[in-house]
Amino acid sequence: MKWNPVYKRELMVSSRSIRMAVILLLFNGILAIVALFNLFSVVEQVKLTAEIQYSRFLELYTFVSFIEFIMLLFIMPALTASSVSGEREKQTLELMLTTTMDPREIVLGKLWFALTTMLLLAVSALPIQSLVFVYGGVTVADLAMLFICHGVVAALTGGIGMFCSSLLKRSTLSTVCAYVVIVLLVAGTYAANVFAFRMDMNELNAYVYTANSAVRRASSGGFIYLLLLNPAITFYAVITRQAGSGDIRVPFEQWFGALPDNAVIDHWILISLGLQLLAAVLLIAAAVYTVTPVRGGGKRVQEEPEKSRQNARKLRVKIARFHAFRA
Amino acid sequence: MLEIRNLRKHYGNFQALNGLDLEIPEGELFGFVGPNGAGKTTTLKIIASLLLADSGSILIDGVNAMKDNRGLKEKIGYVPDFFGVYDNLKVSEYMEFFASCYGIEGRQARTRCTELLEQVKLEDRADFFVDGLSRGMKQRLCLARALIHDPRLLILDEPASGLDPRTRMEFTAMLKELREQGKTLIVSSHILSELSELCTSIGIIEQGRMVLQGSMEQIFEQVNSSNPLLISVFSNMEQALAILKSHPCVQTISVKKDEIKLGFLGDRQDEAMLLQQLIDADVMVSGFMREKGSLESIFMQITAHEGEKAVLKHEMESGL
Repeated sequence: MKWNPVYKRELMVSSRSIRMAVILLLFNGILAIVALFNLFSVVEQVKLTAEIQYSRFLELYTFVSFIEFIMLLFIMPALTASSVSGEREKQTLELMLTTTMDPREIVLGKLWFALTTMLLLAVSALPIQSLVFVYGGVTVADLAMLFICHGVVAALTGGIGMFCSSLLKRSTLSTVCAYVVIVLLVAGTYAANVFAFRMDMNELNAYVYTANSAVRRASSGGFIYLLLLNPAITFYAVITRQAGSGDIRVPFEQWFGALPDNAVIDHWILISLGLQLLAAVLLIAAAVYTVTPVRGGGKRVQEEPEKSRQNARKLRVKIARFHAFRA
Repeated sequence: MLEIRNLRKHYGNFQALNGLDLEIPEGELFGFVGPNGAGKTTTLKIIASLLLADSGSILIDGVNAMKDNRGLKEKIGYVPDFFGVYDNLKVSEYMEFFASCYGIEGRQARTRCTELLEQVKLEDRADFFVDGLSRGMKQRLCLARALIHDPRLLILDEPASGLDPRTRMEFTAMLKELREQGKTLIVSSHILSELSELCTSIGIIEQGRMVLQGSMEQIFEQVNSSNPLLISVFSNMEQALAILKSHPCVQTISVKKDEIKLGFLGDRQDEAMLLQQLIDADVMVSGFMREKGSLESIFMQITAHEGEKAVLKHEMESGL
C-alpha cells in the first residue's frame, strides 16, 4: 500500500515533538481524576446508604464523551486551520505543487493526520470510558454510535479548518476564521432558533384573545432545520438517546417551541450526521480546488481568446443589424 | 526543449507578461535576465505550473504544458528563490519525502537520495536537521531536491542570491556539471557577471516581452558592433583624423592623447577596410579594436528608460 507522503511526514515530525505526549497526558489525566472522584463518591455513598447509584456511571460516560466532543470542536480547527497556510508560510507548498503529487493528496494527508491525532486521543480515553461497562447502562452499539458522531464532528470541523487554511494565506487569520465559522454553526444556529421562537411567542401573545392563539403554539419555524448542521445539537441528541430521556423532542420543545411532525425530526440524528458529512466533503473538495494552482490545463486558456473573438463578431453583427434597422 | 509562444499574464490592471516568446534548445544553460518586475518569476512559475497563464502555449520536450500537467511536472525540476525547508526533518528524510511526492519509494528512493547528496556534496550532512544547515547548504539541498526525479529541464529562480562568493562559485560549478550531464537549465539571476561566464545563451525580458535572445557569442557580437571603435595611433594623427572625418560610417570622434574613440556604424568588413585605408595613408596604428561589451552594459542599454538611454548615448558620444 502506498502511503500518503504528506501524512507520513506529518506523523514522523509529530512523533519527534513532545506536544502530542503532553496533550495525551493532560487529557487522560483530567479524565482519570474525574473518574477516580466519581468512583470514590460512589463507594462513599455505598458505605453511608448501602445503595449504588448507577446513574453516576452514566454521568461519567456523558462527561468523558462531552470532553471528547469539546476537544474535537476546539483541537481539530487548530490542527487543520494552520495546515495548508503553514506550508504556504514555510514556502513549502509551492515545492509540493511542482511535484507530480496531486493537490488532493496534500489536503487529505493533512486531514488524515489531524483525524489520526483525534483518534489517538479517543482511543486513549477508552479505558476510562469503559468504566461504564462495569455496571452496565451503555451498550457497545451506543459507544459505536458515539464514535460515528465524533467522527462526523471531526470531519466537519476539520473540513472547516482545511477550507479556511487553503483559502487564507496566514495561519493566524485562518485559525480565527475557522473558529468564527464553528461558533456561528454551534452558537449562531442555536441563537437564531431561540430568537425566532421568542419573536413568534411575542407575536402570539399580542393576539392572545384571538382564536388562532388557542390552536397554534409558538415555534422557531423553519429555523429548526438550521440545527441539522449544528454538531453540538447532534451530539446532544446522541447522548440524550443513550444516557438521557431518550427523546430529543422533549428538550427541543423546551428550547425552540413546537416541532413539526415529520420524518426529519423523527430521524434527526441520522439526517444531521449525513448533512454534516456532506458539508465536510464539500468543504474538503473546495479546499482541494483552492490549493490547485493550475486547473484543467490550458484548454480553457487557449479557448478564451477564440471565444472572445466569437463574441466580438456576434456583437458586430448585432450592431450592423441595429444600424440597418434604423436606416 | 522549451518553446513558449505568445505568453500573456496579467495581475489586475498590470500586464506582467505581454506576448512573451522564448525558445531554448536542448542542453542549453539559459540565462534569464530582466529588471525587477519584468516578468521573470511569473514566466518561471507558469512553466513550473504554479500559475495559470491568460493565454499562450508552452511546449516542453514535446509535452504541451497546458494540456498535460503531470507530464510537464515529470520533465521539470524547480528551484525557487527561497529554500522551503521543514523543521524537525533530517536532510535524508527531506529528500525521501520529495522522492515519495514523485512516487519514488523504498530502496530506489534511498539510493537516489544518496547519489544526489553526494553530487551536491552533502553526503556527510544526511543525518543533520535541515533547519540547522547553512544558507549555501540549504541551496545545494534544494538543487538536489529538484533533481530527485531526474528532470530534463531545471528551472532556477535567483539561485545564487544571498550566497557568499565561494559558495556561489561552487554552486555555479554544479550547474555547469549538470549541463554537461545533458540537462537543460534556465537560470534567472541579477548577478550578470556570473551569468555571462556560466550561460550558453541568454534572454533579456523587459515589461513582459523578450527584447533580446540568443547565444552569448551572438549577443556579444551584436552588442560589440554597436560599441565604440578604439584606435591607438603611434604617429601621423592629423592624417588619421582627416581620413576618419571623411569616412561615411564614422558618427562621432573623440581624441584622448594618442587614442581615438569612434562611434562607428559598420560591420567587420568596414572595420578591416578602414584599417587598410589608415595603413595605406602611412598612419602607424598600434591598436585597433572594438570596445568589449559586458552583460551589464547590454542589460543597462536594453532595459534603460528613455531618459537613461539619452544619458547613456551622451556618455558614449562624449567618451565618458
